[in-house]
Amino acid sequence: MAKPPYETEREQLRRRFLSDGDAAGALAERSRQAERIVREAWSEHLAPAFPSGLCLAAVGGFGRRELFPHSDVDILLVSAQPLESSGALAAFVGSLWDQGLRASHAVRTPAECCRLDPQRPESGVSLLDRRYLAGDPELYARLEGALARWLRAERLELARSLCRGARARHARFGNAVHQLEPDVKESPGGLRDLHLARWLERLEEAPAREPGSPDDPAPAWSLLSRLRCFLHYRAGRDDNRLSFEAQEELLEQDFAPWRDAGELMRDYYRSAREAWRRALGRLEAWEGRGSPLWIQFRAWRARVSNAEFSAARALVWVKAPAQFERDPEALWRLFEFTGRHGLPLARETERRVEALLPGLRTAWSRGEPLWPPLARILALPRASQALRAMHQTGVLKALLPEWGEADCLPIRDYHHRYTVDEHTLRSLEALEELPCAADPLRRRLAGLLEEAGDPTALRLALLFHDLGKARALEEHTPHSVKMAAAALGRIQAPGEVIEHVGRLIERHLDLSRLMHTRDPEDPATARRLAERGETLERLRELTLLTYADSSAVHPGGLSAWRGEQLWRLYLAGVRQLTRELETERLPRLAAHPPPLAAFLEGLPARYLRTHSEKAAEADLRLCRRALERGVAVELEPRESYWSVRLAAHDRPGLAAALAGALTAFGLNILRAEAYSNRQGMALESFAFEDPHRALELNPSEVERLKALLERAALGRTDVARLLANRPPPGRPSRRARVEPAVSFDSEASPAATLIEIVAEDRPGLLYELAQTLTAAGCNLEVLLADTRGHRALDVFYVTAEGRKLTPARQAALREKLLAACRPPTAP
Amino acid sequence: MKKIEAIIQPFKLEEVKEALKGIGIDGMTVTEVRGHGRQKGHREIYRGQEYQVDLLPKVKIEMVVPEARADEVVRAVLASAHTGKIGDGKIFVLEVAEAIRIRNQDRGEAAL
Repeated sequence: MAKPPYETEREQLRRRFLSDGDAAGALAERSRQAERIVREAWSEHLAPAFPSGLCLAAVGGFGRRELFPHSDVDILLVSAQPLESSGALAAFVGSLWDQGLRASHAVRTPAECCRLDPQRPESGVSLLDRRYLAGDPELYARLEGALARWLRAERLELARSLCRGARARHARFGNAVHQLEPDVKESPGGLRDLHLARWLERLEEAPAREPGSPDDPAPAWSLLSRLRCFLHYRAGRDDNRLSFEAQEELLEQDFAPWRDAGELMRDYYRSAREAWRRALGRLEAWEGRGSPLWIQFRAWRARVSNAEFSAARALVWVKAPAQFERDPEALWRLFEFTGRHGLPLARETERRVEALLPGLRTAWSRGEPLWPPLARILALPRASQALRAMHQTGVLKALLPEWGEADCLPIRDYHHRYTVDEHTLRSLEALEELPCAADPLRRRLAGLLEEAGDPTALRLALLFHDLGKARALEEHTPHSVKMAAAALGRIQAPGEVIEHVGRLIERHLDLSRLMHTRDPEDPATARRLAERGETLERLRELTLLTYADSSAVHPGGLSAWRGEQLWRLYLAGVRQLTRELETERLPRLAAHPPPLAAFLEGLPARYLRTHSEKAAEADLRLCRRALERGVAVELEPRESYWSVRLAAHDRPGLAAALAGALTAFGLNILRAEAYSNRQGMALESFAFEDPHRALELNPSEVERLKALLERAALGRTDVARLLANRPPPGRPSRRARVEPAVSFDSEASPAATLIEIVAEDRPGLLYELAQTLTAAGCNLEVLLADTRGHRALDVFYVTAEGRKLTPARQAALREKLLAACRPPTAP
Repeated sequence: MKKIEAIIQPFKLEEVKEALKGIGIDGMTVTEVRGHGRQKGHREIYRGQEYQVDLLPKVKIEMVVPEARADEVVRAVLASAHTGKIGDGKIFVLEVAEAIRIRNQDRGEAAL
């Protein structure tokens, strides 16, 4: 059977498009073909039956003359009176379908057209793109008049309905423009967003023309429509998903100018970003209208607003834009505001920041130390939001040019859903969302995040972990490390931060690989983990890094099943690293000079993992001084805490005496480590806070503290008496309280018993615990104490009379330790 | 035709896939599952908190193969998933009445 003429014409059109890629021509031609068929059908079936009182209009894409190859042909029959079912109408619609036209028709009176159906808001929207085709011209003129009046009266309601629909559509796609297999019509930044911007513009009282429509084709419309046209022809139906396979097929077309899929997709993302921004600008403008003045005023004066920035409609606005020119620091304060409150920038604010970029690039190319403001942002609770705002405005690329290489970078991988930049920002968000998680696994990981403390290095590692994919997709990690070092070095980040970040990036795939290839219960896996994780602190960070990285691959990236695997692996690593604190002692290392090798012999292997050779040499000098004088102390201020290192001949109760002395001085211990070497020298280090800034404000206090620590180390001061004079500490709020837990493990080491204690932290806790152990006749072989928030995590390896603790001794000690964990009651 | 269901340790998945690929078996369905046989669950203690792990993570591989190849496939899974420890998993072999490829309605072994 011969094909209907329309089918033949459609086939010719398809061939022409696939050879020249001219979407505008193809859409206009298809619209002309459809229009001719519809007019012919009208003349044959409806015109004789309705010489007046009925007219025909094209609406939607057909109305815009933007008819994609397999889109429905939307037509509106306007009837002066409600129309009963009619044989002529059925014949009209039937003939359209017989011609191969997928007609979607509606019959309404002018009054019905001027009504917004909350269940079908798209019917009102489609009328924005209408044009007369045939029939009673007076009736159509009446419709135009009625619609103009209705749109004037209801434009706010219609715009709100459009905004709600658009936000819901964006949310369906995770608000992500940068998807690896996007829907070129519906995804954020798709063609629908260009239409949305146009509709919202037309609802303005005095619309300002913007490019981006078929009347004024912009690059975004041109590329998006070309892609959609191709996808329709490729699938033979209304399919708009630019899948990996479709991308490959597109590259084979004669009209395709792209060398590879990466180039094609980067072109797509540029267009989608343009469409997305245009739509957001319109959405934000309309969403702010229509509310009573006092609501707007209240939003302006919202609690989080300050003198420079306001938070209104969950967006950040600049109160005095000229401020950016007067004060360059204002830009950093804007991003800090965003990172503190977790609010995105309004499109208007983005535009103001974008205008500053040329000046910023020039200023920043002079090698200014840009680390301090970035460090401030990275320490904020919602740093990811600030980094996203910096990325969207181009500031992040200007600050860290290496980041620009990840901009819109696609990954050809069926597991990944987003480009490298989007994946990276989502990984940062995944980490920040952990504290709000409700499921048990994420609660446990949230605990790790709390324990990890300062998130700066972890966030930087996430920011740079995949940048190397811009240079080598397979073995990207070494490139990521180099790019991080170059970028952070340029902004003058501290060397230890660069090294820390580099280590994390270098090992960011370790846990994922082990999860897939090793048995978490196998001791060899635990040894491998310990070897790669090196310390408990780093293993914790690598676990969080793996969690964030996996979670950002796609929305279900880290299923409960995979999360459990990760947790089991983490536990295996923790057990091994805790065991190694006591069992893995350094031998005499031939690689080091003899004095250093003799000093290191017998210290836990952890020592060399947490100390550089330079730091070890400094400790050796400390030990030499201690050999001469019995004790040596070094005290130095760090960025947010003080550090003290002390060497002395090991003796029972040494760690307790030092912890007590620090507490008696009014200092809060944050971390502590204590171990001894083969020569019997104890090396103790404490990090502590000085809440009253006594050391900073009174230099003489530094010497007084050193003297006190020396006396305590030599047993020449009664620490218990000093502590008795301190006022009892206050308790944290109920929500921050921690139930104490004490666990014993005599299998962890061949020679000592491991005791792990979790308790609510308070000044003097470490002293109380160490003193309890000393009083019970225990010798502290190793001590590792850490404090996060109100939680203290203390690990002791102890012996009694040179042996492990017996079960009876453990039972007695448990009660005493639990009692020591409980805060003293106020007198 | 036989359906072969193998419940294996997650960390053995890549090895099993490679072994199957080595004998020309590419089609399979892999599901993340939880369960236990004799291995049972266990208790874990972390930071003084006790966690009961009842159902352990496992991977289920399902494939339908011509009857003549079923033994060979089972042998490949056995060899590649074996560690000798409790928890290695199980293999089930079931009869399959019919297979139909939805795309073109191929039936029987032609649909595999």
